[in-house]
Amino acid sequence: MSAPVLIEPDTAPAAPSRTVRLVRNLLPYILALVLAFVVAGIVIAVLGYDPVEAFRTIFSTSFRTGFGFTETLTKWVPLTLLALGFTIPLAVGKFNIGGEGQLIVGATAAAGVGIVYADLPAVVLMPLVLLAGVLAGVVWAGIAAFLMGRFGVNEILSTVLLNFVSFQVLDYAATELWSDPAAGVAATRGVGEGAELPTLGGPPGVHAGILLAGVVALATIVVTRRTAAGFELRAAGTNPRAAAINGIRVERVAVIALIVGGALGGLAGALEVAGVHGRAIEGMQSNFLLLGIIIGLIARGSALWVPVVAFGIAILEVGASSMQRTVGVPAEMVLIIEALILIFLLLSDVIAGRLARRVA
Amino acid sequence: MTEFAALAQLTVVAMVPFLLASLGTMLGGLAGVFSVSQEGVMLLGASVGFLVSFSTGSNTVGILVAAAVGGLFGLALGWATTVLRLDQFVIGLALFFAATGLAGLLFRVVIGQTGQTPLVDTLPRLDIPLLSDIPLLGTALFSHNVLVYFAALLAVGLYFFLYRTRAGLDLRSVGENPKAADSLGIPVVWTRLWTSTAGGALMGIAGAYLPMVFTGTFTEGIVGGRGWLAIALTFFGGWRPQYIVAGALFFATMDVVALRAEVSNVDIPSQVLLVVPYVATLLVMIFAFRWARVPAFLGRNYDRESRTA
Repeated sequence: MSAPVLIEPDTAPAAPSRTVRLVRNLLPYILALVLAFVVAGIVIAVLGYDPVEAFRTIFSTSFRTGFGFTETLTKWVPLTLLALGFTIPLAVGKFNIGGEGQLIVGATAAAGVGIVYADLPAVVLMPLVLLAGVLAGVVWAGIAAFLMGRFGVNEILSTVLLNFVSFQVLDYAATELWSDPAAGVAATRGVGEGAELPTLGGPPGVHAGILLAGVVALATIVVTRRTAAGFELRAAGTNPRAAAINGIRVERVAVIALIVGGALGGLAGALEVAGVHGRAIEGMQSNFLLLGIIIGLIARGSALWVPVVAFGIAILEVGASSMQRTVGVPAEMVLIIEALILIFLLLSDVIAGRLARRVA
Repeated sequence: MTEFAALAQLTVVAMVPFLLASLGTMLGGLAGVFSVSQEGVMLLGASVGFLVSFSTGSNTVGILVAAAVGGLFGLALGWATTVLRLDQFVIGLALFFAATGLAGLLFRVVIGQTGQTPLVDTLPRLDIPLLSDIPLLGTALFSHNVLVYFAALLAVGLYFFLYRTRAGLDLRSVGENPKAADSLGIPVVWTRLWTSTAGGALMGIAGAYLPMVFTGTFTEGIVGGRGWLAIALTFFGGWRPQYIVAGALFFATMDVVALRAEVSNVDIPSQVLLVVPYVATLLVMIFAFRWARVPAFLGRNYDRESRTA
């Protein structure tokens, strides 16, 4: 299974001017967005709702109120981390479909540490909580990475199956180990005060984990584009044979990339606990897995674009629930819009490729 | 002994969604198109199958519509990977998302918010005369709903088609070496299109089976990973119908163990029993990936004009 064709399409013969290239790169995105919303608008109209009103709600919710905007930023954190956790292994042609499980075990471990050592001061407890989350994610992805490296087990399957195992891990923690019967839903008890991230700005404000997520995103960009490790990663993905001949241990790069992806998923879980819920709750993973993959694919695996696309998707997601409340269109519509954006983006690549060939 | 017969019957019933989805995956895969949208297409099949049979009152119509919708997604995958030559995993995931969203949306739109759970009749049991009277095996094997017999006949039929006919050999050659197949005049694109479509249809039926046999209603978690397990099963079965049937028995047994875990009161935490199917699958895959023979062009697109393929 070779690496997917996600290379930025600026490798065309003859170097056109900067603006031409920019337009050529952006055109598929614009086309995809417009087409996705046109199709979705038709569907919404057929269902008997007002598409203009629905789209206005989707886009305005994040910017009309401070609350909407903080919600968007808060969603941006796990979305960016999970998307990067998907794109880093993707660079070597490996599909990490286990972001959900990595987030859940990360959250469970973080909550566990936050509950058991609740009395420690924040300076000690906070790093421990985050570390626990990251380590849990590493272990979770590490299982899949081990099975892949040692036995050649397809990573799509192993990561996705571990998601289902993780549900039960959290269920055990939330209903047996540290259950909180007063919560009303299956959830662990609250973590100690030292395990709760401070809030920036506000009210309502965003938890400080957003800074950490920003640093991680920046670091990913720097590492993948400017370091030897990043070069090996990209080389192993674009041409495994050439990379292997030049002394890059492709299998090992793939294993490490998958584990790094797991670490990011675990971190996302820990930040959800420390910054948003203050505990681990069943169902806290929402549909972050699907969204993370969609973001990674729309960004074409580029670490630079993931945070940007993640912000756009966060806007759509926050708008979705508000659209369901006020206009009545089911929130699932937004998932369809996102899938359509991706599908149309892929289709416009084909068209762009054919046009380029005809011009050349 | 009746306990055993009941368990055996339950296991056979649980085999069917795995078997249908896996045979569908196999059919497309043998021609080289690897679907990863099972989980979504099955959910859509469950949603559509349930909704249609809820509003028409006919399970048959529900199954047929679910098959048609699943086939449409299979056709989309086939078209995008042959005619457009998009990456199979990427487009497969995109279709998975679209199907998942559509499944939830349709259910919301048709049923909306209701106090009581909407229900459809589950498929009736059809006893095969004489055979169903055999002690023990009779009820376990010959007293089932129509889709159980369909799945069994399908597995046998596919085996004979793929390994005993010229057309089956042609089909497999497309997944092994499309260039050679093409040079012999075997229509590569057409073969990939129809197998992918038929495979999607089978996944749709596998999805519709869930509300029509197990629950009588649709829930968002109704597929519960069976789509992904079906991919694992296809690898486990080495992309051959006869081994997939054997593997489905294993997966169904795990499923029944997990199902019974929730009602029994053994002294093990229920969570441990509930992860059994997934952990067992992971362990089994260690061996499956060692011996499994995979179609050489599985997951790879064919470009007639390319020199490297």
